[in-house]
Amino acid sequence: MANTATVDELGHSPEVRGKNYLNQTAGVWSWLTTVDHKRIGIMYLVSVLVGFGLGGIFALLVRLELLTAKKTIMDASQYNQAFTLHGAAMVFLFIIPSIPASLGNFFLPLMIGAKDVAFPRLNLLSLYLYWIGAIFMLAAIVTGGVDTGWTFYVPYASGVSTTSVISATFGVFVMGFSSILTGLNFIVTLHKLRAPGMSWYRMPLFLWSLYATSIIQVLATPVLGITLLLLIFERAFHIGIFDPTLGGDPVLFQHFFWFYSHPAVYIMILPGMGVATEILATNSQRRVFGYKAIAFSSVAIALVSFLVWGHHMFVSGQSELSSAIFSFLTFFVAIPSGVKMFNWLGTLWGGSIRFTVPMLYGIAFLFLFGIGGLTGLFLGMLSVDLHLHDTYFVVAHFHYVMMGSTAIAFFGGLHHWWPKMTGKMYDEKLARVGFALTFIGFNWTFFTQFILGTRGMPRRYYNYLDQYQPLHAFSTYGSWVLGLGFLITFICLARSLKTGAPAPANPWDSATLEWQTQSPPITENFEKAPIVTLDAYERPAEETA
Amino acid sequence: MSAKAEALGGAEETKLSPQFHVAHHFDKADTQFDAGRMGVWLFLVTEILLFGGLFCAFAIFRSKYFPSFVEAHHHLDRVMGGINTIVLISSSFTMALAVRSAQKNEKKKTTLLLAITLACAAMFLVVKYFEYSHKIHDGLLPGGNFTAADFASGHPGIFFAIYFMMTGIHGVHVVIGMGLILWILLRNQKNEFSSRYYAPVENVGLYWHLVDLVWIYLFPLLYLVG
Amino acid sequence: MSTSHAEHDHGHGSGNGDHVPHVLPFKVYIGTFSTLLFLTVVTVGASYVDLGHMGNLIVALLIATIKASVVALIFMHLKWDHKFHAIIFVSALLFLAVFIGITMSDTQFRGEAEAIEAKNPVDLKDPFKAERAGDVAVPKAAAAPAAAGSAAPAAGSAAPAATPAKH
Ligand code: HEM
Ligand SMILES: [Cu+2]
Repeated sequence: MANTATVDELGHSPEVRGKNYLNQTAGVWSWLTTVDHKRIGIMYLVSVLVGFGLGGIFALLVRLELLTAKKTIMDASQYNQAFTLHGAAMVFLFIIPSIPASLGNFFLPLMIGAKDVAFPRLNLLSLYLYWIGAIFMLAAIVTGGVDTGWTFYVPYASGVSTTSVISATFGVFVMGFSSILTGLNFIVTLHKLRAPGMSWYRMPLFLWSLYATSIIQVLATPVLGITLLLLIFERAFHIGIFDPTLGGDPVLFQHFFWFYSHPAVYIMILPGMGVATEILATNSQRRVFGYKAIAFSSVAIALVSFLVWGHHMFVSGQSELSSAIFSFLTFFVAIPSGVKMFNWLGTLWGGSIRFTVPMLYGIAFLFLFGIGGLTGLFLGMLSVDLHLHDTYFVVAHFHYVMMGSTAIAFFGGLHHWWPKMTGKMYDEKLARVGFALTFIGFNWTFFTQFILGTRGMPRRYYNYLDQYQPLHAFSTYGSWVLGLGFLITFICLARSLKTGAPAPANPWDSATLEWQTQSPPITENFEKAPIVTLDAYERPAEETA
Repeated sequence: MSAKAEALGGAEETKLSPQFHVAHHFDKADTQFDAGRMGVWLFLVTEILLFGGLFCAFAIFRSKYFPSFVEAHHHLDRVMGGINTIVLISSSFTMALAVRSAQKNEKKKTTLLLAITLACAAMFLVVKYFEYSHKIHDGLLPGGNFTAADFASGHPGIFFAIYFMMTGIHGVHVVIGMGLILWILLRNQKNEFSSRYYAPVENVGLYWHLVDLVWIYLFPLLYLVG
Repeated sequence: MSTSHAEHDHGHGSGNGDHVPHVLPFKVYIGTFSTLLFLTVVTVGASYVDLGHMGNLIVALLIATIKASVVALIFMHLKWDHKFHAIIFVSALLFLAVFIGITMSDTQFRGEAEAIEAKNPVDLKDPFKAERAGDVAVPKAAAAPAAAGSAAPAAGSAAPAATPAKH
């Protein structure tokens, strides 16, 4: 601790050259019992990508069915299962753990100059809980499927559906604990393990967004836990709390569910915003504009997100008073989101922008989140939502924010940090092709759905009126382009593992701490414990120049 | 530190809690302790919100079906509930004292206090067992399983749904707590805890107090006011 | 060891050395325990006094909250712990209050619009022509005779073509 190393010294000595966290120990067992946050992050990464692939296959099946107005490849009940499994896999297996548990786990300690997260074994436990939960969810697929939609609404899920609802919801219940423990671990890590000199305002903004995310994970996920527990008991023992024939209240389920799930959409987007900030800062080659505004808006979003859940329930039969309150409060979420948007643009303004592959994703994020966020405001408007609720407009909205923003940010972050994680550079040309097809395919698929929605196409139907057929077919063609884009991206990244050139410590000339150690890092992260003397995104060169 | 050594009663222990060392990613013992405690407090937050859902259901259905709640709650046994309240408060008391004696290097006393806490927890569960079997026998069960006759009000099943969910989940917490207390009791026997290192005792204590806290609300809400 | 020792962030003074525990005197624990027992008796006693629908509930919750605070502050050492831990704990209660409070803004007020709509039905075929009482700003010309201030008759006269309202 007493050494005088500063962040700008790489500090590579012959002793660590060639050594890294990947080759420190070998064998499957050494991975399954590791407490190294980097290896846990990598295992999460592989797992969420498998979840993404699974969800993606169901997505392509859903789109294929919708190619024609009548039955194409599956019947109604198969279709219900396909969209449910698509949604559940994407939400619970992929997007919720995606950025925090994989990239966050890997980079949070590195970015604050720590050796690990505060509770390394708890970190491993949360990975195992995620796997156990996933197994229950996958077990549901082979033991009868699930057809309730990812929202598990009662009374259908508690009584009517004949599918494996209990297995699936129990899986989600277990994965909830995984999410809670990750959030808890991050909060304590950020409070207790920042390197000397790393004050709160020197942290990269990705960490502020992870901090805000963790707050939501800790405060909201337990309510999902009790919701699913009640649902399981309702289904197994008819306890009646959600059952109107026994005096219960099915709308209460929706309150419980959305008290978690609206904040949960910010569990999904906040880390994406954080990744985008890192990418924009690195590739504009200047310090982030409005650091504190971005930092505090993350926390503000986290807090306000707890006040608006009822905007998903405008047509549920909740009281008009509630609807009015929720509609009103929903607009407050837009303020911190807007603050971020302007500060990102301010960062680009006057920066010397490099269009690296991650930067393409970063700019796509701004564009797509703009559309996704603004359409959210349409839907938050009570009178407008009465018409648009449960139409493809909603489907398009949340795909713009979840896929267009979070998933795009996730893949941007993957390209940004890939050299650091794997020690390999990927083929930039191929990565650009992958990006371009993804971006075009995405808008092709989902912008079409805004139009379908405004024309009245309801969601969750496997056949529809002929008048919607051309647009549906168009959207389906787009999904193929989108799928191809992701396939190319995967091939590009996977190939780099074999044939990629070795990555330098700081290939993008980035200012944050994780680039100050070798690629890939050693198990202890830094050879000498860093002492931070620079502000966030400040470069040592700026001082001398 | 000399005062501590005296508290040992002249034992020739060279080092307290010999197995303990500060984990490599913490700068000092205090940071590690504080981190652990902060983690536990955050965990307790999740517990509060988990139970919170049921408190929410209680508030809503009580105002909706007030007569049912009043009538149904007369079927709970206040005496047993009251005994359990005292048992749990006592266990909280002994748990708090166990932390204190661990801080003071009084190993035997710590073991004894933890054992008493464990006994209280077991007693709580025994009383709960009698209550439950009585309810089941009388058909005072949740929602669709409710079979008790001669109820004047419409929805006693909802009351018992909330009663069983709340006390059931609370009971599971008691069982988990017993496991944790047993675990630290055994570790205490291996001389792991001392003024130098007692974080696990303290953290299990925090959890146990929360179990008590929840019951402090459950008892009046379910047994007394209905 | 005095109880005020931890007021200033206990432990931080001990530098790189071992953790130094903060031990409370035994009588604090006894006092807390007896307070809790006493309050348990009080809350049972209070439940025999009929204070009405909400009265008993409020009293019970009040006593429970005092008991809970005592446990949290003393048994759980919150009083001597880092402030931040208290903030964590209180924020849980705050968010729980938000959860319960806003949910009840639904469950306590359901179906209120139906009554209003029944009183002022709308012609579904032509919803905007049938202005309902209070819906629309009163046109100046029509408002003039109704200077007395009641808006309802003014609105009625402003929209003579409206579906006849009951009142
Ligand atoms: C600018 C902020 C946002 C606002 C005002 C907003 C508003 C809304 C509203 C009002 C709905 C309900 C539409 C309906 O069902 O009729 C909705 C649905 C949805 N939103 Fe957003 N949203 C915002 C951002 C986000 C973000 C960032 C995400 C996720 C990353 C997201 C994910 C979703 C999802 C998944 C649904 C549909 C849930 C379902 O019914 O299956 N939203 N949004
Ligand atoms: Cu929402």
